[in-house]
Amino acid sequence: MKQPRWIKPLFYAVVILACLFFILPVVWTVISSLKPESDIQSYPPSWIPAQVTLSNYRTVLEKFPYFTWMANSLIVAVVGTLGILVASTMAAYALARFHFRGRRVLYQSIIVMLLVPMQAYVIPLYLMAGKMDLLNTLQGLILPSVANVTSIFILHAFFRELPMELEEAARIDGAGEFRIFWQIMLPLSGPALSTVTILTFIANWNAFLWPMIAVRQDIMKTLPVAISQYWGAVNQNASFQYGTALAACCMAVLPTLVVYFALQRYFVAGIASSGIKG
Amino acid sequence: MRRNQWKIAVLFLLPYIVIFSVFRFVPSVGGLLVSFFKWSLGGNPKFIGVDNYVNLAQDSSFYVAIKNTLAFFVLTVPVLVVASLLLAMLLNQKLAGRKVMRTISIIPYVLIPSIVGIMWNWIYDNNFGLLNYYIKKLGGGPVFWLTNERFALVAVSIVVVWTYIGYDMILFLAGLQGIPKETYEAAEVDGASRMQVFWHITLPLLKPVTMMVSTLTLVNVVQLFDQIYVMTNGGPGTSTLTMVQYMYTSAFTNYELGYGSAIEVVILLLLMVLITVQNRIGNRERKTA
Repeated sequence: MKQPRWIKPLFYAVVILACLFFILPVVWTVISSLKPESDIQSYPPSWIPAQVTLSNYRTVLEKFPYFTWMANSLIVAVVGTLGILVASTMAAYALARFHFRGRRVLYQSIIVMLLVPMQAYVIPLYLMAGKMDLLNTLQGLILPSVANVTSIFILHAFFRELPMELEEAARIDGAGEFRIFWQIMLPLSGPALSTVTILTFIANWNAFLWPMIAVRQDIMKTLPVAISQYWGAVNQNASFQYGTALAACCMAVLPTLVVYFALQRYFVAGIASSGIKG
Repeated sequence: MRRNQWKIAVLFLLPYIVIFSVFRFVPSVGGLLVSFFKWSLGGNPKFIGVDNYVNLAQDSSFYVAIKNTLAFFVLTVPVLVVASLLLAMLLNQKLAGRKVMRTISIIPYVLIPSIVGIMWNWIYDNNFGLLNYYIKKLGGGPVFWLTNERFALVAVSIVVVWTYIGYDMILFLAGLQGIPKETYEAAEVDGASRMQVFWHITLPLLKPVTMMVSTLTLVNVVQLFDQIYVMTNGGPGTSTLTMVQYMYTSAFTNYELGYGSAIEVVILLLLMVLITVQNRIGNRERKTA
């Protein structure tokens, strides 16, 4: 199958166009956020700002409890991710390596929840969280996020692949199950743990529906919710300031982009593996 | 050496299972229960049997919500599956810089969905939006993307496609890389054309991945909420009101928690039906091929 000569340039053209489609909205957001409001709402729009200013960013930080929101977001995402790492790693390890009755059924009843989105159980969750006094608290945002299923799926698949011999040898040497897990299995699990870390951190950082329902108090909100309520459709009117809105957006996505670029190898592997074996 | 290790297993499983049960399993099952009650915030819940469902069946907004959810599904899922497969096949070629392109294509998926909505609000802006500027340059009139009932659903669909295409592409790419090189070499020896290879080798071997991508995309689209909330909040009128939107409004704006739960149950049912139908169609195609 020899390729005609014109086909490579065509491929490049399509791929480059696709990449522009993905990246230009982001670039445009950043550029716009750096313009003064009078330049933003002007015609024609220009890709090169006549005047670069950080005034929109200053407005966001001075007039809104932005750092509080960001701290809330960080606490929820970091603690939630740590919680998932501890709870899911242990559970997935047990489901993959220990022999006990009902193991398969238990695993399958957890995994089937992959198909049940938060949107389908958020009302009972709200009622329960209310009973447990978890509404308007950060714990109330963290705990439901720890009941994460994707991590079980990824880690279970990983632990199953580890060779049996490692475990047997350690057992003959008299190591207990916990030591085998802690000193032999975990040190081998770097890639799988990195994958889970990045996937769950981003999922927690981006979480929207539950934080919006569970928290009504302004200073307890996370960034996605606070931003959407100040600058989303519910608040659009004639005097809407896009400059501040876009500045708030840029600062909120920065942490995700940093984590993504730092760990993107594992991110791609994570998406691929969370799919393939499913 | 088969030993029963249930004691240690319980220890390892305990933290997860407790949290999973309380915050995921019980609510998932509890939704059905709540849907049989008239449950307003503050007031005492009152058992009313299937009344919520009877009311739903007579609620015209609910039918609009179902119609819009299905419209989003029809407008996004086929486009996403086809476009991401084509893109994956391109990036599976030996192209310089394809790693960079792969990295760029997932950025939309990584960004906070509600913020993606605000970014696009600005691009779609009636007066100063980038999109209308270029449409005008090409000689068209301004399109009121988010404020015209005819365009809002399409406008949000474009954002959905923009968000998930890279993610779906990665799944396909992994599938493509799982097809052994020998298969292609054998086809080449037999003198198969490019199109033949695509239809008779790549597509059939990619079938499981295609089914999985369609299912995941379907779940993602049916649960769509963040972007809609930020971009149109269900409007203008009811033109982008989806089932999830309607559930949210019923439960957390009107505080009809029982009614909202009934909608949740229907959402889950619809999801299961769509997944089953999609998989049936997929499997039938394999038999006829």
